[in-house]
Amino acid sequence: MRVSIVDYGAGNLDSVSKAFSFLGAEPVVVRTPEAIAVSDRLILPGVGAAGAAMKRLREGGLDEALTAAVRHRGVPMLGICLGMQLLAERLHEHETVSGLGWLPGDVNRIDGGSKHLRVPHMGWSGVRSTPAADRFFAETRGKREFYFAHSYTLATDAAAVAATVDYGANLTAAVLSGNVFAVQFHPEKSQKNGQALLQAFMDWNP
Amino acid sequence: MLTKRIIPSLLLKDGRLVKGTRFAAYRDAGNPATTARAHNAQGADELFLADVMASKLGKSPDLDAIRVVARECYMPLTVGGGISSIDVAYRIFECGADKICMTTTALDRPVLLTELSRLFGDQAVVLGVDVTGGPGQRQLFDHRIGRPIAGKDWIGWMREAVGRGAGEIRLMAVDREGARTGMDLDLLHEAMAAVEVPVVFEGGADSLDHLDGALTAGADALAIGAMLVFSDNNIMKVKRFLAGRSHAMRV
Repeated sequence: MRVSIVDYGAGNLDSVSKAFSFLGAEPVVVRTPEAIAVSDRLILPGVGAAGAAMKRLREGGLDEALTAAVRHRGVPMLGICLGMQLLAERLHEHETVSGLGWLPGDVNRIDGGSKHLRVPHMGWSGVRSTPAADRFFAETRGKREFYFAHSYTLATDAAAVAATVDYGANLTAAVLSGNVFAVQFHPEKSQKNGQALLQAFMDWNP
Repeated sequence: MLTKRIIPSLLLKDGRLVKGTRFAAYRDAGNPATTARAHNAQGADELFLADVMASKLGKSPDLDAIRVVARECYMPLTVGGGISSIDVAYRIFECGADKICMTTTALDRPVLLTELSRLFGDQAVVLGVDVTGGPGQRQLFDHRIGRPIAGKDWIGWMREAVGRGAGEIRLMAVDREGARTGMDLDLLHEAMAAVEVPVVFEGGADSLDHLDGALTAGADALAIGAMLVFSDNNIMKVKRFLAGRSHAMRV
């Protein structure tokens, strides 16, 4: 099975790659539409700012290659952190950026004000998952802390939300839509809980 | 619910870990890879690794050692020391770091905070704040020359840095560093009142009660160095104790 980690120049691929290697997979880092096209599993990781990320995806034609593979041919994809937020229609960071638009909705800054919460939401938080996402969270039931590091949050269709995290409000922690599963937290940095989730993604046949 | 983080603070010098007092008198504190592996196995919430000589000597941090430590980390890794350009930051992220921490290099070139947060997001950019002196007499401290920095208000600097895009403050009580005389909770309060980003607090912890006190005072995270290196404490024991004191911990 060819597990491809999409490199769009925003760093931190080593951690994601290492986490899949740990599970016995042989992940490859891909940078071209051709390499995306021959993938059996796609990982869209994410550290970075939305504007720079979307620009790189578009410049390289990676956005179209992802759409063809994931939306048209049904290749399972895992989005991580910014890789989840990029699924939205619009991202409002320093400027408003058009996302991939695979999910309805917007990405906005976390509102810490009214409850004096510190932003970024940084650290290990427990998540609450929906029954639809059981396969990804079952192994960690009752002990579901994952590592978060984000200042922005995705608001989308309730039907697509697979898990939430309580940080002032119930923020989207994971989404599930067809053959796309994406998480706001960093499974590659979430020790055993994260490894169980990545294994579940590898075993998933949507 | 967001849990409190306990972060081993590892100092790197000549390929080995060291521990000192007030940024000097360094003693050997072990092998970087095996130490990182042990902290990972014991459930450390994050790891902080600083090359203590890089900024002093005006060079890049030890990338080989960072890579070796990152390989052991299935938790977040923050790296500091000698981050004087976007290029150096990029190479550190490539080694597997999740966040970069800038202290004196940010003072030299504040615009770096702006540029790096635009590229990597504010969650990846940490401002190190080294403070010396007591209430009313606090000053930023320059570890490269071992002296306070005259004429720069530490509170104003923190606010400016956060405005530029620093997503976290790593606050060091310099006079307590390695001294194991207890934590300066007034300093913590002053910092937390000034900024709205998370604050990681370090300096002076010598007992589990000190840590309990700092969390009760509101710290989002605690970085601990000497207390882990030169005692029989380990991360698991520390976190279980703090959970027993009703702090939200990942245990």
